Amino acid sequence: MFRVMLFTQWKWSRLIILFGTIAAFALPIISLQGAASADRSPLEAQDLLRTVQSWGTLYPVLAAALGLFVAMAAWAPDHRGRHVHALTLPLPRWRYVLLRCAGGALLLAIPAAAVFAGALLATATATLPPGLQSYPFALATHFILATAVAYGVFFAVSAATPRTAGIILAAVGALIAVQVVAGVANVNFDIVSPLTLIVLGPAGPFAIFTGRWMLVDV
Amino acid sequence: MTNVIEIDSLHYRPGKGFALQDLSIHVPAGAIYGFLGPNGSGKTTTIRLVLGLLRPQSGRITVLGDRMPDDAPKILARVGYVPEQPHLDPTLTVNEIIRFQAAFYPTWDGARAAQLLRQFDLDGERLFGRLSKGQKAKVMILLALAQQGELLVLDEPTDGLDPVVRRDILAALLEYVSQRGAAVFISSHLVHEIERICDWIAVMDDGRLVTEVPMEQLKNGTKRLRVAGAPATLGPTPFALFAREPATAAAETWVVGEWKPEMAGYFAGVGASLQDVIDLDLEDGFVELLRSFRAGRSERSA
Repeated sequence: MFRVMLFTQWKWSRLIILFGTIAAFALPIISLQGAASADRSPLEAQDLLRTVQSWGTLYPVLAAALGLFVAMAAWAPDHRGRHVHALTLPLPRWRYVLLRCAGGALLLAIPAAAVFAGALLATATATLPPGLQSYPFALATHFILATAVAYGVFFAVSAATPRTAGIILAAVGALIAVQVVAGVANVNFDIVSPLTLIVLGPAGPFAIFTGRWMLVDV
Repeated sequence: MTNVIEIDSLHYRPGKGFALQDLSIHVPAGAIYGFLGPNGSGKTTTIRLVLGLLRPQSGRITVLGDRMPDDAPKILARVGYVPEQPHLDPTLTVNEIIRFQAAFYPTWDGARAAQLLRQFDLDGERLFGRLSKGQKAKVMILLALAQQGELLVLDEPTDGLDPVVRRDILAALLEYVSQRGAAVFISSHLVHEIERICDWIAVMDDGRLVTEVPMEQLKNGTKRLRVAGAPATLGPTPFALFAREPATAAAETWVVGEWKPEMAGYFAGVGASLQDVIDLDLEDGFVELLRSFRAGRSERSA
């Protein structure tokens, strides 16, 4: 049962997975390319860290994009068929959802593995200045967790009816609109910043997307 | 188990307008049960309730001895379903769809699926989305038959198809029923199709059940009578009087149901004479039945 479910999801999201995997493999390699050699001075090591850090901002973007697109691909055919096929299959709904969720999660392991492989290759072919160390495993773990969080959130939203998804989007849109209007009217009212802190702060559900995404660090 | 589907006092109202009201249906085991009604009468809604796709507001639905929607997975493993609109993913090939479906049904008959694929002349490597309407309908029937269900629920399976495809589908369906002894619950607004294959019939109109009878009873019992000298007001009649219209100055035309030849004696008792009994086909009977039902409702609401 899981095999056929995985197959259909592979068919629906293979291009996303393919491009995601190439990007995930290339990102660590590009971030270290030409930056590391044995004769660098401490100042150049600082440059290297800055370069790695700037490239590091792309990891959470890639993780979020992969989570979003794979989650959408998981539900799009069911939405098109108004869920009739899924609901007439002889298994409880929760089990169907679990199978779909597991299928997408397993596919997302491919780009996550690509980050790890790319990071290993990048650090193996580069000589790091003294005092700097590579963290391929930590980076890959960070990426897996971020992808899982993005996938989980978008999977839940995509699973909902278009009406529910519309309500969520409308609420977010209304929030932004209120903030914009308040800004234009010069009213001292900031709702976005505290919400951002709640969502992206250290205890927030999306904290995983923040912080340093460093393949090489002190 | 004498009935494969039992619906009792079902109420379902999806919004402000249309509603299924006090619906009771009983589909006997082994029957080919035709579910007839004009468009928008509630056939598809009833089928969705039977399959657990919708939840009734009140009433009870039992399918193959189990309660729907509580036991939905157990029931659905034994029911083959062909929806009004094909709902399968257009990006999968026919073979991929067959493999997908097979994984969910323990009773799946791969040999039958392969045989139907040949019989229907379907290309297994073709994308479902690229198939013609008739080919899609054939795939849907193939899936329903290969899963070896004890009950087939078909929602207008041949609607809009050409006569050749329609014949192929009905032939495969009847062959399956004769081999497996399965019951079929088939909705349609094509009266002649229902007349040809069904042994029971239910008629729906505007969310209500008009009648539920063996096909022979409806076909043989619906007559047009030519009656002379009938009084203006009548007491209870031994048959169902659907319509009463003047034909000539002296005679009237009555459309009746549940007619039996021995009821001819009734007319002498009310001072009238029965001049002629004319057979009606199912389509005429269906139209008269609906007309009478609607007239009765208008009178009651007035």
